[in-house]
Amino acid sequence: MNTEYDYLFKLLLIGDSGVGKSCLLLRFADDTYTDSYISTIGVDFKIRTLELEGKTVKLQIWDTAGQERFRTITSSYYRGAHGIIVVYDVTDQDTFNNVKTWFHEIDRYATEGVNKLLVGNKSDITDKKVVEYTVAKEFADSLGIPFLETSAKNATNVEQAFLTMARQIKERMGGAAENTAAKANVNLRGQNVSQGSSSSCC
Amino acid sequence: MNSLWPVSVSHTQLTSINHQVYVHPTPSSKDNIPGFLALAKPRGATTDKEILVAWIPESKLQESAADFESYVKVDIKESGTPASSSLNLAETLVSPPPSSSFSSYAFSIPISDIFSLQVKQPSLGWWWGSITIHTRSKEDQLPPLYFHDAESQSTIMEQKRRNKKFETFDSESGSSMFWGGDHFIQVLSKYANLERAESDHSFLLVNPREGDAERFGTNLTGGSEEPSQLVAGIPGRGAGGDPVDRGAQVQKAFSDIRWGLLSNLAKVTQLTRKVSQGVWDSSPQPVKQLLMKPEVKKIGDDFDSARIYLAKWALSVAEESQRAKLKVLFDDELRELVSDEGFELIDAENNPQRRNEVSLAEWNAFFDYNGRLIVTVNEVKERIFHGGLAPAVRPEGWLFLLGVYPWDSTAAERKELVSKLRVDYNRLKKEWWVQEDKERDDFWRDQLSRIEKDVHRTDRNITFFAECDAKKDGDDDNYDKDEFGFSSQINSNIHLIQLRDMLITYNQHNKNLGYVQGMSDLLSPLYVVLQDDTLAFWAFSAFMERMERNYLRDQSGMRNQLLCLDHLVQFMLPSLYKHLEKTESTNLFFFFRMLLVWFKRELLWDDVLRLWEVLWTDYLSSQFVLFVCLAILDKHKDVMIDHLAGFDEILKYMNELSMTIDLDELLVRAELLFYRFRRTVELIDRKNEDRRNSADGSEPVSITEDLRELLSRKVIVVREGERPEGVMGG
Repeated sequence: MNTEYDYLFKLLLIGDSGVGKSCLLLRFADDTYTDSYISTIGVDFKIRTLELEGKTVKLQIWDTAGQERFRTITSSYYRGAHGIIVVYDVTDQDTFNNVKTWFHEIDRYATEGVNKLLVGNKSDITDKKVVEYTVAKEFADSLGIPFLETSAKNATNVEQAFLTMARQIKERMGGAAENTAAKANVNLRGQNVSQGSSSSCC
Repeated sequence: MNSLWPVSVSHTQLTSINHQVYVHPTPSSKDNIPGFLALAKPRGATTDKEILVAWIPESKLQESAADFESYVKVDIKESGTPASSSLNLAETLVSPPPSSSFSSYAFSIPISDIFSLQVKQPSLGWWWGSITIHTRSKEDQLPPLYFHDAESQSTIMEQKRRNKKFETFDSESGSSMFWGGDHFIQVLSKYANLERAESDHSFLLVNPREGDAERFGTNLTGGSEEPSQLVAGIPGRGAGGDPVDRGAQVQKAFSDIRWGLLSNLAKVTQLTRKVSQGVWDSSPQPVKQLLMKPEVKKIGDDFDSARIYLAKWALSVAEESQRAKLKVLFDDELRELVSDEGFELIDAENNPQRRNEVSLAEWNAFFDYNGRLIVTVNEVKERIFHGGLAPAVRPEGWLFLLGVYPWDSTAAERKELVSKLRVDYNRLKKEWWVQEDKERDDFWRDQLSRIEKDVHRTDRNITFFAECDAKKDGDDDNYDKDEFGFSSQINSNIHLIQLRDMLITYNQHNKNLGYVQGMSDLLSPLYVVLQDDTLAFWAFSAFMERMERNYLRDQSGMRNQLLCLDHLVQFMLPSLYKHLEKTESTNLFFFFRMLLVWFKRELLWDDVLRLWEVLWTDYLSSQFVLFVCLAILDKHKDVMIDHLAGFDEILKYMNELSMTIDLDELLVRAELLFYRFRRTVELIDRKNEDRRNSADGSEPVSITEDLRELLSRKVIVVREGERPEGVMGG
């Protein structure tokens, strides 16, 4: 809890039910995988701290339920996110078709300028693949956002996906605003801690 | 009355419009009426005070397509520039709705007749913001107007504009995002002098006359002419809306009772004022301060603003609660009075203990040789509530508890019933089984894929569902699909197929609700225990009766339970509640999962079965699950207060309680908390009764309806409304 860090980034995983959001998170945060994962109810998050260009970056990654009626709750989290990863399943055309809706949700609820990333998961199931890389890439390019195909099962590109996101956010907040941004986070946290329990170890 | 309805409205100029402003005549969202909130200048009007504030239901305007279009246009185009469209409002601004009429809530009222606006800000996702207009006349009560901003093009556009300019949060109120009500107030303020009421910041006084402000502050319930209207808009009316006045009532309520030490009016006044302001000050304050800082404004989107949203959410729960006038009871000093003399006694009187589970022999002894119950249902339920059922009893016991078997049936009758249920289930199943592919719509396909995905990942750690056909390796990349598009992995396990079929059948059977994520978690234990798809299906359907409210499209059932839990925590654990306020966690969101699937994800398998059979008895309360939630907070309150300093920390902590919970201990604690709760309610009721008899005219201390409902054993059933054409199951 009291790990030192230079940046705290909040990421949000969204996308249709069953595309593998939780599995991606499990792979990235705990480096494990299970075929029989359970559906996500409510929200949860995991933390992973990593080194990025000499800075310590703490990623707090929020995982959400995919079904639409639960979105009234998850939309509250959009605004807090520095980066949002939209996930679809390369073996399920519908989940790709819905990606547009998910980006629309971001436009509606998230902070303008939030970093976005498109991820096509389950790339290991090659014989069932129905969403072509080129089609998804073209779509991502049209929105000007990066795109990766991943496999939570084989760990392919998972690390890269989250790193891409983290790097982007750091870039956006870096440059002229670097110090301010970093300080803002630290200050904010500091204030919160001091307002909370005085017995806090921080 | 007539004075409200000027005759000169035959030609009226629209000056401002808010679209998607609703009246909610009943708690059910399907009764909501969409409409326009308009400011309109009657022809010949010479002063701003004559401008009309009107609400017109869409349906009225739709009678005239041209009018409707004009309204929409003014709504969209209006961006600070004075609207110019001139149209005929004569038909729409008619007479006040008779109070008994359900069909029309339309009203129009000149600014001069408005006494105040009661403004409730929205909370993203959960609550619509609302404005209630209080008139200067006693008779006219206007309905609260709810701003459905997510449906309002103009508000979304304005929000976007502000986002770009980093003005997302209104700098005046500091913590609030722009919403439809802001627009209305902004425009109204051009035509009227709006003053925030000192004693309650949610009220705006409109063109206050001399003395209004003071009256508002001191004389809310005093039966004076005008301001008494205000009270009508407050839930728990009559308890007083003002610190001083409320203090007086509390003083009356408590001074004559044994546990009352509150003889000092001034002290109480101070207490209550502190409490009521505390709600406003505590949560948004850090946010306000932060937002005021220019550097924070500049980087707007870069910092930890999730907290702000959550703070808003927490605030709105807190505000709801405050309106319910519960706060006065929760002050530590007042609470101590109850706990000292009240709780010790209750705890001594009621010493809940878990008992042995009901064995098969004991269960059989409940029935005569015909298989008819020879003890009372209440005795059986009491026994199950305190001990649960042995695994061997469950297949039969659960069918009784869920209401599939009538308690007064004989064994022969039950046998007959089961045959009938088998026929019924097969018939329902066949309905979708024989459907031609072309008869199946998008909804069906969408739902089918949802069910497949969830069955695939429900309780696969239970051997029942884990085993797959040895010939297949179960890998995702080695699956074929059957005619319904299911993977071989499911097809290789008969139990997964059964789960799937039951859920598809339920999806067809309860058409309005359909399958929703989480239901597979509710079905699986039933199927494992009953080991029969027909019985499991009917048991599931019966279970879903009470659980339906958890799965409604608009999530109102979950919201209401979380709000009720919020009230309960205030009532029973005030010190923890203060900490939750401080950490912006009063949304109690971490109970979402626990409530949605009744602790299925937090407890070990055997404990899930035990908890559910205990809850199904409704022995103390049909909502005993909320006392189980309360017991978790009670157990962990010290840790939370001492160590958890933010919403994310608390959420993490609560999520990680999963699989560490000692169920028996939890149930004992929950039962004790229930007795304490019941006792407190009784004490308050008795004092209220005493005071009524003494006829001193003082108002009773109110207990919110949702809290009182916790004492009822009657199961709350809320059905989903009809699924609108084209709406998917999502």
